[in-house]
Amino acid sequence: MADRQTRSPVREPRTPAQELLDELGPVTQFHDTSHLGAFGMPSGAMTEDMLSPVATASSPTRFGPLEKVHAFWFAGASCDGCSVAVTGASTPSLESLLLGAHPGLPRVVLHHPVLNVESGAHYLRPAEQAIAGELDAPYVVILEGSIMDELVANAAGGYWSSQGEEPWGPNGELRPVTATEWVARLAPNSAAMIAIGTCATWGGIPSAEGNPTGAMSLMDFLGKDYRSVLGVPVVNVPGCPPIGDNFNETVAAVLYFLQGFGPLPEFDELGRPAWLFGETVHRNCVRGAYYEEGSFAKEFGDPECLVEIGCWGPVVNCNITSRGAINHVGGCMNAGGACIGCTMPGFPDKFTPFYKRPPGSMASTTVSRMVGSVIRPLRKFSNNNLNREVRWDRQGATPSAFSREKSEPSALSHASHKFYDTLRRSSDTARNDADVWGKRDEAPSGGSPPSRA
Amino acid sequence: MCFKTLPVEFDDRGNATLRGGIPNPYDVTVAKPHLARSDVERREGIERLVARNGHIKDMNMDPVTRIAGALAVHVTADLEKGAYLDSHAQATLFRGYEVILMGRDPRDAIFVASRACGVCGGVHAHAAAYAIEQAMGICPPPLGTVVRNMTEAAEMGYDNPLHLYLLAGPDYSEAVIKSSNPELWPLAEKWSCVNEHIHGFKTMADLMTALNPLTGALYREGLEFTRLSREMVVLLTGKYPHPENVVPGGVSTTLTLQTLNEFHSRLGKIFDYAQRMMAVWDDIPAFFYEADDRYQFVGYRPTNHIDPGYWDDPYAYDATYENCNAWGEKRWSTPGVVIDGELVTTRLTDINIGWEEFVEHSYYDESSTSRYSHDMLGNPLSPYHPWNKRTLPKPGARDWKDKYTWACTPRWDRKVVEAGCYSRLLMTAMAQKLPASDFISATGTSMRLLVPKGEVGEREVEWRVPERWNAFERNRGRAYHYLFSQLVALESLLEAYKLMKQGEKRVAALDPSALEKAIPKDERVSVGWWGAGRGWLTHHLVMDKGKITNYQICTPSTINASPRDPWGQPGPYEEAVMNTPIIEDVSDPARFTSIDMLRAIRSFDPCMPCTTHVHTGEGEVVREVNTCSCGGD
Ligand code: SF4
Ligand code: SF4
Repeated sequence: MADRQTRSPVREPRTPAQELLDELGPVTQFHDTSHLGAFGMPSGAMTEDMLSPVATASSPTRFGPLEKVHAFWFAGASCDGCSVAVTGASTPSLESLLLGAHPGLPRVVLHHPVLNVESGAHYLRPAEQAIAGELDAPYVVILEGSIMDELVANAAGGYWSSQGEEPWGPNGELRPVTATEWVARLAPNSAAMIAIGTCATWGGIPSAEGNPTGAMSLMDFLGKDYRSVLGVPVVNVPGCPPIGDNFNETVAAVLYFLQGFGPLPEFDELGRPAWLFGETVHRNCVRGAYYEEGSFAKEFGDPECLVEIGCWGPVVNCNITSRGAINHVGGCMNAGGACIGCTMPGFPDKFTPFYKRPPGSMASTTVSRMVGSVIRPLRKFSNNNLNREVRWDRQGATPSAFSREKSEPSALSHASHKFYDTLRRSSDTARNDADVWGKRDEAPSGGSPPSRA
Repeated sequence: MCFKTLPVEFDDRGNATLRGGIPNPYDVTVAKPHLARSDVERREGIERLVARNGHIKDMNMDPVTRIAGALAVHVTADLEKGAYLDSHAQATLFRGYEVILMGRDPRDAIFVASRACGVCGGVHAHAAAYAIEQAMGICPPPLGTVVRNMTEAAEMGYDNPLHLYLLAGPDYSEAVIKSSNPELWPLAEKWSCVNEHIHGFKTMADLMTALNPLTGALYREGLEFTRLSREMVVLLTGKYPHPENVVPGGVSTTLTLQTLNEFHSRLGKIFDYAQRMMAVWDDIPAFFYEADDRYQFVGYRPTNHIDPGYWDDPYAYDATYENCNAWGEKRWSTPGVVIDGELVTTRLTDINIGWEEFVEHSYYDESSTSRYSHDMLGNPLSPYHPWNKRTLPKPGARDWKDKYTWACTPRWDRKVVEAGCYSRLLMTAMAQKLPASDFISATGTSMRLLVPKGEVGEREVEWRVPERWNAFERNRGRAYHYLFSQLVALESLLEAYKLMKQGEKRVAALDPSALEKAIPKDERVSVGWWGAGRGWLTHHLVMDKGKITNYQICTPSTINASPRDPWGQPGPYEEAVMNTPIIEDVSDPARFTSIDMLRAIRSFDPCMPCTTHVHTGEGEVVREVNTCSCGGD
């Protein structure tokens, strides 16, 4: 198995997906629907049919050519955390996508094992239709979890991860069909292949060192040359878990474009939505200024920059500090969690052991400590002054009972603040000598104190 | 305390010893439970029946949807008798997380193990932290434990409504009832809800309409409340489901008054909702039992439950195995085992030494070992105990008489026990050992819960131990567990305020460099006992020379989805399905939806991602082709 995990995809003529399909052969038949009866279909209708009366928009209110899009959600080696993240999203929310309630978007007919009402062979019927080329609308495939190397399990007569059975065995016998196989068969005619979460985008934890399943990412599986029918390579929305809103926004952005009113969404060199993953998480971190000032948390729970207790934020592409985890609440560093790089292709093995400062941070923290030792006192000095009303400066006293301990500023600091004020006001046009003829010279109550400048 | 099957005896002080004079006391042919007939004989009888009779259907539902992860259920249904003659639960996913953990630095365990399940968020991260703390001898400061309790209670606030309204709810919705149980719809239209004054639905039909998937008001409200609770969690953990704040020896949450207030304000909205939730899930069983008495047996199993307890007393918990019985019994939710409705123990050591995991019917090679014959207190351990387990994955062909699932078979004292969040109510109610509280109390047969006033008035509610555990009681129990967990969140929040008032700031025992130095170099064995959205969760850890040498996760859905054991006793899902009458109208066999089975299965809240976790010591796949051809399908 080791050779299957380490050999070079560049030199290999066939992708793992092709290898698997070559091994399994083409499929010709599907479930005989007349034999299925209602088994597993307690509502007597597919979820799509149940929702279409509410979800279908009449043509005048459609903003574009698409009325509906099928989305097949498959789980490889996954923890279902990506699904959970998506149910938390609100921009747009899952329910508004499914109910066609996000103006301008086609309704999304989602085939998701956690959400659909029907089970068993009925549930997989639309996937069969997609393979047979009989589906009534374009489809995308969403993969959560990594692709496991089913060739190995198949050789032993079994599987790592199966979803449903199809009459694809010898002589049309039913056999378990793996998520990997579904993905391989659906990819060629898909409008887009979207990997959600770090397992699907880069292999993630299931493909970490010592794994027994040969787990890999969707890109690794489909290969460099993969293009969807729209000509798009694999789209990657990483994160472990991903932020639900990042995913829904990516799907929405692609659909805005396809409907003709949105700009072409930009993807970076790894297929990530560039507007979401273009920055390091450090750049928008709520603790970033502590780094700048050279103040670092020593204990878990401290409020300062977390780099010395194991944060990799400065070198990790992620937007959780600006977007929050759900409804703009949370965010790793916001709560006190150090970044372990869960959005990155190098996760987890390039970040372990955890709770240990990244060795590379030594140089920059030393520099920021030095700069900070100068900057911090200067800022404190100004901050003290700005914490005083102009009136208190004039009176030479602060009437707050809370501040009884605080002494009034010394003559020296008073003088430096005056100097500072002069600098600040040097270009203030209020100092120009135009006649302010619209107001009286003296306000009735005596007015504000004369300016010190 | 005594075991009925395992030859283990206890002295007056509760110390266990093996009954003398028995060679191979743990051999599966020596200590075996009483059983009427062998499973193989039964299965063969069924296959003969299927071959002869057209009305007996042998069907596999793959996948079962509206559960988390991958599950298939095979049934043999006798449509004339209205009975499920046979059932096999198949976990259809293997990922190998434990293998990945073996050989790593223990500091990797929390973040790696967390990825075992993304459905109920931080539970695995916490269980891993407890295991590491016990192995390394680090005890979190009280505020660290309190933050963990707040996190994990809030997490249940997401988990319970998700199940009740998104996963199980549609099975009781107008859409399903009108199609699967049309005879019930006119009754529902006439049935006035007992709790209309609380939830606002006049008739059962109104309530069922509100349960409709995606469009129903209750479905949508449930989804919104899962989001609110997730906001509470991420205030403390940074993200959901995998927390970023769990560290060995505590948490890394930066706790301020703002954090507590934001948590508090969201929690304040939950109690009114909890009242509505309990009202809904009290009315549903009332209606169904009245409509047809046979609903009492949908998903029925004898009252055999197990739970290791949840939410620690921040002052009692000391992270040691030696004192685990003392601190375990002080948890908000008491550890325990209930067999045939009797509470047999509340001691964590008893729970631990009675625990075994078998792989007869799972895609693994047998590999029990005798590495540890005793725990740290000298109590005997089985070769099938997780500390002795070295499981070798072996994908192979499915055979109902042989191997058919990736889940293994955990048993306690070789009895089939069930895990569930409702098991917490059961243990805590019966044991009457929970900490003193203004909001939560136990009577021996019930839990009394005081709902604090929100926009509607305060109210005392009572959850009584059900006479018969079935699908409806599981769902009802889950609704009451929602309130229980949110009251634990409230109590923990109040404790956090108190600690903050005392000037307490420490949330973790060690800083990162002290943590690195604390990694022991000798061999250590430990267990993290914790809970998940579905009940029981344990991580058994062995480390040596500073690295993890064995890691075994046991989750509630592994317990519930387990296949037959070596003696042919079916796992809880299987047993519940076989006890379920087919009540839907099957006069036309083509209209057989299997809704009764689905209600039975979904009432357990199956969560398969973390069910199939268990793995090899070598990380090596055994590639030999399984020669047993499929006999059953
Ligand atoms: S906590 Fe992490 S991301 Fe934030 S400033 Fe420090 S290093 Fe950057
Ligand atoms: S900050 Fe780091 S750990 Fe947190 S979500 Fe982003 S990449 Fe993951």
